[in-house]
Amino acid sequence: MATETESEWDVKVPDKPLKDKVYFENLKSVVIDTEMCSRCLTCAAVCPGGITVVNNKVDFPDYETKCFDCGACVRVCPRFAYEPKSGLGDHIEFTAGRSKRFSGQDGAMVTELLVSAMEMGMTDRALFAGRDEKWATEMFHARDPEQLAITTLGGTKYTFADVLPALKEAVKFTKSGVGIVGTPCIVSGVRKLQQEYPIFREKVKLVVGLFCTENFHYDDISSYLKAKGVDFSKLVKTDIIKGKFVSTMTDGKVKFKVAEAEAIVASGCNVCTDFTALESDASCGSVGSANGFSTVVVRTEAAKKVMAFIREKGYADFDEGDPAQLGFLIGHKQKRAENIKK
Amino acid sequence: MKKVTVQDQSTVEKVKCHAAAIGVAMKESIYPLTATVQYPRQRKKMPDNFRGYLLFDPEKCINCWECAFICPANAIRMKEAPNKKYYPTVDYGKCIFCHFCIDSCSGGALRTTKIHDVAYKDMDDMVTLTEEMIEPPEIIREDKTLVEYQIDKKDLQIKKTREVDYLFVDEVPPSVEILMVSMCIDGASCIGCHVCEQVCESGAISSAIANGVMRMKIDTDTCTGCGLCVKECSMQILKLVRK
Repeated sequence: MATETESEWDVKVPDKPLKDKVYFENLKSVVIDTEMCSRCLTCAAVCPGGITVVNNKVDFPDYETKCFDCGACVRVCPRFAYEPKSGLGDHIEFTAGRSKRFSGQDGAMVTELLVSAMEMGMTDRALFAGRDEKWATEMFHARDPEQLAITTLGGTKYTFADVLPALKEAVKFTKSGVGIVGTPCIVSGVRKLQQEYPIFREKVKLVVGLFCTENFHYDDISSYLKAKGVDFSKLVKTDIIKGKFVSTMTDGKVKFKVAEAEAIVASGCNVCTDFTALESDASCGSVGSANGFSTVVVRTEAAKKVMAFIREKGYADFDEGDPAQLGFLIGHKQKRAENIKK
Repeated sequence: MKKVTVQDQSTVEKVKCHAAAIGVAMKESIYPLTATVQYPRQRKKMPDNFRGYLLFDPEKCINCWECAFICPANAIRMKEAPNKKYYPTVDYGKCIFCHFCIDSCSGGALRTTKIHDVAYKDMDDMVTLTEEMIEPPEIIREDKTLVEYQIDKKDLQIKKTREVDYLFVDEVPPSVEILMVSMCIDGASCIGCHVCEQVCESGAISSAIANGVMRMKIDTDTCTGCGLCVKECSMQILKLVRK
């Protein structure tokens, strides 16, 4: 961090489409009311006021009087001036891996990447989305590889987590850097934060993206799963395999087609074309690799260093990945570009 | 080995010494000069920087919470007052009388007294509310004599005077005054929320918008170094530095 101090400095003032309204109202009219909002909560991460989530929507109660009108939310929102991205993107390496140390959704490579970055000294903490007994997400700051023995940290939850508000806390306390994992919208939010504010550029060292087709609000998915007969106290793992949502419980499985749950897909996902988290340092997911392995798409030098460290220490098994398998889902998400115009 | 020999004294001198010894003995029998302070009839004289019962002046409080943050015993809790400001309350069951709170108070709202003898009926009463800290507690003064220890050439002298000590300290000037001023360490990360400008009591922080750029400015001459803006800055990019 810069050590020199200054008594005068300049702050960018972004343009307002609605001239005489506060910035949150601008954000609300352009992003939230048009159902473009991805609920990545990048705005909440910088908002000095009270941007929060009300009824599954990003909201700011009493924004007319409480909004500071600073424009930070508009500056960082990835959907305010939305540039949809799609495809597999530039990458250094396409591979598949299986961690020998951790157990997660498939090959637990996300956990492995974040923990290895911690062991290398690149970061001193990593943010994981844990869950409680009812499968609601709660953020967890991991500062020691041993903490990853908590089994609820790994595995997909198929619901939103408040990653970015937790990132702001982590950035305040970290000394060397922070590692973070998130869906493509969260990754875009982090990049936007880094573009606008040096404090995030310096402190966020590793961003792992997840392959993502869509996400669900917690209230919707939990009541939907309950209606399907899923008992949360026995639920071990949720997964999407070949178009089917599979809930694995201690005493059996509940399966249904994801297409059936179309109605409860979060509205912001309908305009998202990014399947592979194109802006991440490394993207991970199960598609494109054999059973039990995670696909890893290495995109930046930072992630390359971490992969080299994992190979050197022998923390994971590696296998060939098949980029062609991703084609269908990338194409599936590209079709959503039509929704943006609406 | 050294042998102690009796001083060669004349008879007159011997009589004088005996008379003086009898005099001291008679004086002691009437007014015994003990080192013990006969509290509560007597009270020891305390220095002005004695760490005693705390008094609080809400007029001077700038709501920085520094006293609550610094308290090593966690005795200070902030409570919301009717005017929406937060003022300290002290739990004397926890207080260790270190007076870090007074040292950290940038507005000078907290001050010490020489009161050390406050009795409570139960533990709940020991939580002293803000209203109770504004006025000094009710004290029943039984003391008539002020005892003062004075060191005179390695010898401890006990001075007793027939007067009642004033228990309140108007102001103790700090031994070393360190002038601090708020500065920005990472201007590019500023989101421009004006929180610093709004909380600043001395109006040292100003902003002006020109050509789509907002210029934030800290006037280092008017900044009192209270640290409120540093605490409130949402991006944590302000820092107190020495002037």
